[in-house]
Amino acid sequence: MDNKDKVQKEGTLLKKKDLRSAWLKWMYYFQSCYNYERMQGIGFLHAMTPIIKRLYKDDPEGRKEAMKRHTQFFNTENALGSAVIGLTAAMEEQKKKGADLDNNAFSSIKTGLMGPLAGVGDPLWQGVVIPLLLVFFLGLAIEGNVIAPILYSAIFYVLYYGVGYWLLNLGYYKGSETILDLMESGAINKVITGAGILGNAVIGGLVANYVSLSTAIQIKQAEGQVFVLQTELFDKIMPGVLPLALTLLCYWLLKKGVSSLKVILVIVAVGIIGGLTGIL
Amino acid sequence: MTVLQAILIAFVYYLANSPWPFGGLGNYAILYRPMVCGLVVGIILGDPVQGTIIGATINLMYIGFISAGGSMPADMSLAGILGTALAITGGIETEAALAIAVPLGLLGAIVWVGRLTLDTAFVPLAEKYADEGKPEKVWIVNILLPQLLLFVMTFIPCFLAAYFGGAYIQDAINALGGTVLRILGIIGGMLPAVGIGMTLLAIFKGEARIFFFLGFLLATYFGISILPLSLIFLCITVIYMQLKGKVGGSYSG
Repeated sequence: MDNKDKVQKEGTLLKKKDLRSAWLKWMYYFQSCYNYERMQGIGFLHAMTPIIKRLYKDDPEGRKEAMKRHTQFFNTENALGSAVIGLTAAMEEQKKKGADLDNNAFSSIKTGLMGPLAGVGDPLWQGVVIPLLLVFFLGLAIEGNVIAPILYSAIFYVLYYGVGYWLLNLGYYKGSETILDLMESGAINKVITGAGILGNAVIGGLVANYVSLSTAIQIKQAEGQVFVLQTELFDKIMPGVLPLALTLLCYWLLKKGVSSLKVILVIVAVGIIGGLTGIL
Repeated sequence: MTVLQAILIAFVYYLANSPWPFGGLGNYAILYRPMVCGLVVGIILGDPVQGTIIGATINLMYIGFISAGGSMPADMSLAGILGTALAITGGIETEAALAIAVPLGLLGAIVWVGRLTLDTAFVPLAEKYADEGKPEKVWIVNILLPQLLLFVMTFIPCFLAAYFGGAYIQDAINALGGTVLRILGIIGGMLPAVGIGMTLLAIFKGEARIFFFLGFLLATYFGISILPLSLIFLCITVIYMQLKGKVGGSYSG
């Protein structure tokens, strides 16, 4: 007991490297055995193994219990999910130190956090950060700049691991309320609003630069002259008017609930008919 | 395409779907994206510039691609890798390459569903290790077995498609003739509108909408390309948010 008290005063049973090792396992292998039954459950168990090994080194029963409670269903976003890794590690540590935490406490914290974290994380990365970085670098890459994909990758990697590491520590040292508050705070909303504005503007530029659609319609006029619809009308009024109309049409169809596959098929049909008739 | 090149290309497809080398979502955001895997395939085929151009063009289709809660509507890495490989070996125009790549991406979604279904078979083994209290064995069920399965599911079909597709694509293109290629080009030019439409679905909202038209007008009338446009709008966004903060402060409530 003396020994235990001593540890308790020092406050930590886990070493920094255990936490880091758990986090890296999570960042790399969270979806390695992704499956419909447990989703990232096995990945979560794998991430917890350095923690379990340290805390239950001489306690086979405790080890089995801990492994079982982290094999359950789990599904969230990778980088933001780091917070759950930190938090769960802290809880396991507290439990080992004698805190009254049963399996329910763990599963309610894990399931309570995974939804909000995925709810912020999926749109944040896939809806804002990745598209913004992509549109920024795609323009360069399409012109043949091989550095663009490399810069894109490097910036994303740093951002993503930076956020993950920050949340790991937040989860471990601060706990669940801090994390939930953060997910609902105004700061994140401000970032998302600003990113939405920038994203819209850049996407607008993307339509003008990279959607190509022009008509080949020519109208024969009297004195043997030919009126070329595209160059003599559209290009003079608004060069990208057809790509703009097409993009808004696609958006409208998708918003109506038409699947992207069907929209693609419509475009294929339009392309074939337009190409054969000489309209496009 | 040589056998070695086809092997390397198929290995890139496995990597794009594996945890390596950038981590779970890291790989998915980096090597899985056609712009990045296009560059890698270009390097393998000896033409990194062309690989980047084709990959980036294919990527236009998948900018606003969101996979949430374990669903995956298309495999953009297969579209990017095979699309780039076939376009370079067949000497196809980039826009026609996009038209070829998109159906490949739809086909590739089978791998995703198959993997999530088959990986379920490993769950009992994970439970067995838990019952025995053996954390040191978890890597077998989380890495070794599912990654072996994934390797078989990705490497073999991609190798066959790259090697045999690469061998015949040139003949096929010649046989198809000019009209078909012209139509593929028209379709490929229009397809980015679908990808952009999907992105708009996520961000074309509220006060931000007018900026879509502003960005379009600046680009179409003044020919501003994406990089300077992004920087200009970064400033405009900051100004807008600052003004909004002030207006909101004095008129709120």
